[in-house]
Amino acid sequence: MIELRNVTKYFRTKQGKNYILKDMSITIPSNINIGILGRNGTGKSTLMRMLGHIEFPNKGTIYSNHTFSWPLGLGGGFVGSMTGKANVKFVCRLYGCSQKEMKRVIEYTKEFSELGNYYDMPIKTYSSGMKSRLSFGLSLAFDFDYMLIDETLSVGDARFKKKSKEALLEKIKDCNILLVSHDMKTLKELCNAGIVLDNGKMTYFENIEDAIDEYEEINKKAS
Amino acid sequence: MLQRSSFQIFLAVQKALFLRELSMRFSVSKTGLFWTFFEPFIQVFVMVLIKVVLFGRESENFDFAVFLALNFIAFNLFKHIIIKSMGAFTANKALFVYKQVKPIDTIIARTMVEVFITGVIIVFFLFIGVYFNFNLTVKNLPMVALGFLLLIAFAISLGVFLAVANRFYSSIGKTISILMTFMMFSSALFYTVEMLPFALQSLILYNPLVHFIEMIHGFYFYALDDKFVNYNYMLLWILIPLYLGLWLYKKLEERIISL
Repeated sequence: MIELRNVTKYFRTKQGKNYILKDMSITIPSNINIGILGRNGTGKSTLMRMLGHIEFPNKGTIYSNHTFSWPLGLGGGFVGSMTGKANVKFVCRLYGCSQKEMKRVIEYTKEFSELGNYYDMPIKTYSSGMKSRLSFGLSLAFDFDYMLIDETLSVGDARFKKKSKEALLEKIKDCNILLVSHDMKTLKELCNAGIVLDNGKMTYFENIEDAIDEYEEINKKAS
Repeated sequence: MLQRSSFQIFLAVQKALFLRELSMRFSVSKTGLFWTFFEPFIQVFVMVLIKVVLFGRESENFDFAVFLALNFIAFNLFKHIIIKSMGAFTANKALFVYKQVKPIDTIIARTMVEVFITGVIIVFFLFIGVYFNFNLTVKNLPMVALGFLLLIAFAISLGVFLAVANRFYSSIGKTISILMTFMMFSSALFYTVEMLPFALQSLILYNPLVHFIEMIHGFYFYALDDKFVNYNYMLLWILIPLYLGLWLYKKLEERIISL
């Protein structure tokens, strides 16, 4: 269960406050995969960051007794001057892994991300696709209640995309995902429920199809 | 995921950050590493040279080279903790993606790395001192150690305050770097307060760092003492910046994370 109580989030801009959420209260049930929809700039990523505890609401609280992964965005969370392997080790230590677990995570990530020699080279030599592959592989090696995935599935070539999706389908047998995506097919495939963000409002739909319909409605109105 | 207490998480984060900082020091720039370890030796060498040229040999009843080494080890530790703390938030920004990593953790980890490196430098100096037969006897080792601990506390408390301030006003960082050069000359590093003329003594004692340095070399050498050290003044300079720094940090922590 994820509970948002009177959550207000805004960013200050020169034109005044830009609201992402305006006094929203919502309860999201457990054991459900949720797709997050919204036009660009409506705060999908901010919502993910708030759930991952690296962004904070201006008012209200977000409560949950689940564990969340770090938001898997486009290659965030890595230090450029360190090798891929060193970055993986760092994250293992953060999560208090034993030596044995660390070895397993290093091997798994290396294999999954298909980086080859690049695995032992500094991150700054990576392309953005390579970074996302590493980030995604690394997060798959851990067990969270919720994985926060921000468009990561849309990187990589067709084959890697397919592989990621398969790995994710396998993974969501034991964990749940919160997925930001603009790809309706992926959303339908992976998610049960949906959240639509629009103009400071956040609406929860028990069925992802309804959420997609609403989102398309909003898009129509805008154009 | 296994449940961990917040202290266990803190320890895991510290270990991870410490090893990361250390491996970056050792792998990224070889010249940087060289300077880290040779800076103090060069400082001492140059200062001894200047003194010998200007004033000739043997004027004090303590070993001037050891005196310089001790003071510069202490001063460099102080300087590096502050400079590294001020850069800690920006340099580790990418790591705040992991909710376990709080900005202040990066300051603590960087301080630990500086203390570790200082330890290595001390060992180097001890080897050289023993090899060249310098007189290394310490008058009161526990008090010297306490002096170093207080100095570290002073540096951390200033470091936290300046790190938060520097995150929002980056000109502070530049000012501090310039101020450090001034501090080098006004912190009783190559003289003792007693050697100064009376008028200058009362002026220089406003510099808090002088008290820490005087305490350290006052308890190291039999020929020196701590009569100019004002311990209350030292504590004040530890506690006030620490309080202000932590207060400011607590207020702005969330903004530092998501900036």
